[in-house]
Amino acid sequence: MADPAADLFGPDPASDPLAHYSPAEPQADVFRAAQGPIADAWRNLAAGLALQSQGDLAGLQHYIDRQVEDLGLAFRVAGDEEERPWPLNPMPLVISAAEWSGIEAGLAQRAELLERVIADIYGPQDLIRGGHLPAVVVSGSPHFARRMVGLEPPGGRHLNVCSFDLARGPDGEWRVLTDRVRLPVGIGYALENRLALMRSTGGLAGRLGARSHASFFEALRRGLAANCQRADPRLALLTPGRFNQSYPEQAYLARYMGLALVEGRDLAVRDGRLFVRTIAGLKRIDGLWRWINARDIDPLHFDARSRIGVPNLISACEQGLVLANWPGVGVVETRAMPAFLPRLARELLGEPLALPNVATWWCGGEAERKRVLDNFDKLVVSSAFKQQVAGLEDGRTRVGASMSPDERAAIMAGIARRPMDYTAQEIVHLSTTPALADGHFEARGFTLRAFLVRDGDGRWVAMPGGFARISKSGELRTSLMGLGDHSVDVWVIDPEPPESHAEAALPATAIRREEGLLPAQAADNLYWIGRYGERLNQTARAIRALVSHSAGVMARAEGVTATTRLANLLRRWNAAPPASIKWQPIRLAATALDERAQPGSVRQLTGMTHDLALLLRDRLTRDTWRAINRPFPSFDAEDADELVDACDLIVERQAAVARLASDGMSHTAGWRFLDLGMALERASLALQAVRELVPGKASGEDLSALLDLFDCLGLYRSRYLAIPTIAPVLDMVLLDPLQPRGFAYQLAVIDRHLAALPPLRDDGLPETAHLLARNLVASVEAQAAQEIVPATLDGWLGQLAGLSDAISRSYFLQQEGQDSKPPTSFLA
Amino acid sequence: MIYRVSHEIRMRYAKPVADARFNLRLKPVEWPGQAMSDYRLDILPQPAVRADETGPYYLTTTRLEYEADVAELAVSSSFTMAVEPRGHPGPTPAVGELRQLALEVPDLSVLSPAPYLFASRIAAANREIGEWAAQLCPPDTAVLDAALALADRLHGEFTYQPGATDSGTAPIEAFRARNGVCQDFAHVMIMGLRWCGIPAAYASGYLRTIPPPGQEKLVGADAMHAWVTVWCGEQAGWVGIDPTNNCLASGDHILIAMGRDYADVAPIDGTFVGAAPQIMSGGVDVAVIDPA
Repeated sequence: MADPAADLFGPDPASDPLAHYSPAEPQADVFRAAQGPIADAWRNLAAGLALQSQGDLAGLQHYIDRQVEDLGLAFRVAGDEEERPWPLNPMPLVISAAEWSGIEAGLAQRAELLERVIADIYGPQDLIRGGHLPAVVVSGSPHFARRMVGLEPPGGRHLNVCSFDLARGPDGEWRVLTDRVRLPVGIGYALENRLALMRSTGGLAGRLGARSHASFFEALRRGLAANCQRADPRLALLTPGRFNQSYPEQAYLARYMGLALVEGRDLAVRDGRLFVRTIAGLKRIDGLWRWINARDIDPLHFDARSRIGVPNLISACEQGLVLANWPGVGVVETRAMPAFLPRLARELLGEPLALPNVATWWCGGEAERKRVLDNFDKLVVSSAFKQQVAGLEDGRTRVGASMSPDERAAIMAGIARRPMDYTAQEIVHLSTTPALADGHFEARGFTLRAFLVRDGDGRWVAMPGGFARISKSGELRTSLMGLGDHSVDVWVIDPEPPESHAEAALPATAIRREEGLLPAQAADNLYWIGRYGERLNQTARAIRALVSHSAGVMARAEGVTATTRLANLLRRWNAAPPASIKWQPIRLAATALDERAQPGSVRQLTGMTHDLALLLRDRLTRDTWRAINRPFPSFDAEDADELVDACDLIVERQAAVARLASDGMSHTAGWRFLDLGMALERASLALQAVRELVPGKASGEDLSALLDLFDCLGLYRSRYLAIPTIAPVLDMVLLDPLQPRGFAYQLAVIDRHLAALPPLRDDGLPETAHLLARNLVASVEAQAAQEIVPATLDGWLGQLAGLSDAISRSYFLQQEGQDSKPPTSFLA
Repeated sequence: MIYRVSHEIRMRYAKPVADARFNLRLKPVEWPGQAMSDYRLDILPQPAVRADETGPYYLTTTRLEYEADVAELAVSSSFTMAVEPRGHPGPTPAVGELRQLALEVPDLSVLSPAPYLFASRIAAANREIGEWAAQLCPPDTAVLDAALALADRLHGEFTYQPGATDSGTAPIEAFRARNGVCQDFAHVMIMGLRWCGIPAAYASGYLRTIPPPGQEKLVGADAMHAWVTVWCGEQAGWVGIDPTNNCLASGDHILIAMGRDYADVAPIDGTFVGAAPQIMSGGVDVAVIDPA
């Protein structure tokens, strides 16, 4: 069969961007070593990228970066405050289907072997009693969870998801560097890499026959569901929270796979069953994909200090909860374990390892120790259990030959005292792959991270390709990405793809319209992102009004009171400090806009909105997310025009966020909470604005400022054709049910949302919050504008505060009551 | 010698707390030379769920779950214990030999050496403590002699000072200040022994309150006590050494639990929703009811 890609790009050698690619060691380069149709695939790929970028390969990186940013693809370097965009090189790595099937089979065998080893460690411990695995290799692992001994997981599956780091040696032989079974960090990035490349290379992957990832994630989902107790199980992904290095990845996976994204505090164990606290009460969870280390997962059974776990989760495990991966599996991740796996493969599987791991010696054995000491200069020495040990205090590995005499002595002394803490490995050399750097191809050493999951029948399925990491520094042993590393998508290519693409027939998906469950925590966050968003919008409007009115102060004396009143309003909202009473309006305006130390400043509120958006990444639409993440406008703090422009921009942007959320989110309960927060905040701010701007002798200027805040100055003028006076203004901003920024309108919105939320009571009576809302609606409907006095406004403000409390009591913290704190642990 | 032991723990919360769950680690495990009878554990208020589990280290954990809010918790543990003094365990292997022996025991159970060879949460590896201890543990010294020498040095250099530290103090801080309580002494000794590749565990239990006539009262008898058990080879097994009193743990010591450090055997911990409790003194009484 002819290569379809060859027809598209032609075999013209002049258009081959790889023609001048010259790695230092051609025999150790995956492209140079490729032959026949796979070599053609490489060339077609490079030519395709050149074509896509219209010859500007350097521009391609920029374009990919944009796609990555648009996908919200980010990660954190350990210890970093800010997220960084995920670095993706535009040039994928090509592996032939034939070569890949060898890797896949080898990894499936390895996953099976690890499963058997884990099952023995937490079961009969025959391997230990029989002398095949030293007890110390198990107890030395910080991930050995003695509590789990004797506890069998549902379906006998300790492992559902595994990842492996592999190296391709210069001779073309693949070796396993690391087994990662605790957290498959990178599995979501691999998915997103492909997505970003698909977007920026216009279907090149499909035309070249790269295998897709879709069925892999479906297999994972079905694998998780397979052993759940209920037939239509509810699955959730347990995250440590947004400060985790791979939180963006976790949120993305949850959304992609349709899993509820939950934190420990969302969950509760009752009578051995796991539940999530939702706005509609406790809902059962059947299967949990955890992204939390076992140590932190249950403060009652493991580390009592954990604040991110779920008390008693292990008793839910005893009662049949599917927990992937099972706590304690990390025991096989130690550097000592690969020293035993070749032997264990023969013992447990009756066959040798199909894919070797890096040759490893554990110094706890007398013979092995001697061998290591005799060959010290040819080996890499590392901490057997990844702990700080003498001579390797930073936990890094060291090459024997390159040690100083002091380092060497320290390690030798350490090995004499505590030999079990050390392992040695052969030195691994890496193949290179062509990567794009500044518009041309350069050879870079790489490691491959592969992912395997169990499908519904328990078979191991590999993600076709996974991703590769390339680095200038050559140090590629860290858990995720270091600074300056790049990730590379890996394309498994069938030069002769099977005639019909035999995708496994997927069972028909049950149609549904609800978003699934809404955890109380997520509802709380949505509510507050609505409130903060509206508050920053109104604050920007007030700042804008302040600047505009103060500009006219010299001309019209009555402008002075409007300026003072707007300044008071901004102080009331904590956008400006009390000391600002002596400030020029422009200084106050700049502070209210940009001062981080001021809790009510637009800058600060923007930051809070952004923090909440990070937590809601799985629930906000992509467009909403993008609008929220636009950079804060820059301006000259002494230039009134620039201040007004910045406020205009913020007002417009917030309107866009609100509209994108309302147009894009399904109008289920999650959206209702967001909109509820917005309406409640708008109602409260409206009352506060009236309270500051109207009392005493409100001038026409004061009332104009008020109308300006509600964006209805034009409407007033066209309706009354006169200077604003108090009663008509109050009617317009407070009582008119058709004025969409007005108070009465917000109450109608609040009433509607509360009526539509799922009932929590079983006696058919309305919820407290809804009753309070109805009360307010009635009171406002019966109010005449002429009779509004400050006490009326204060009464309504109090009722609104009571309503907000009732909402949070009913829907957000139903277990704990209002002033609760997260679970605390203590030592007697 | 027959003792009657009672231990009371009371905690009060300023505001009742919800979702209260507790782990109690007060029921004695079996131990050579100890024979227990009449165990009672009284808990007020009555929990909705109460269950005993063994492990994960060498201990019994009693789990409590409350459905109603809890304002105050009162726990009372009492038992009768007959204790036979164990005497000197006899010759033990040299440190260098023991190191390799410990690595080769094909056993992962709670009484095997393997679990107690490595750094644990509180007894983390520490070079300062390690090098201080290593001077007394050369490869050719018998392991029990080395451990006793270490206990002696600890006892000589450190001041026993109740209140100097609390259960949250890191052992290295007590080490640098050269003072602390039994828990700190035990942790420092464990860290020193493990640094040298010698399996060492944290023993938690009680001491007789009133000394025999003519002898001084042992330090640490008014509360729960802690000492160290050292693995001295297959023959001698686990040998208790009390660095606070610079003696072998025998006759006057009643072992309740053994773990890697205090965190494994803390008498009580738990989770709840609400503010932390005020912990009232846990009264311990160890009375001799039959000196035979």
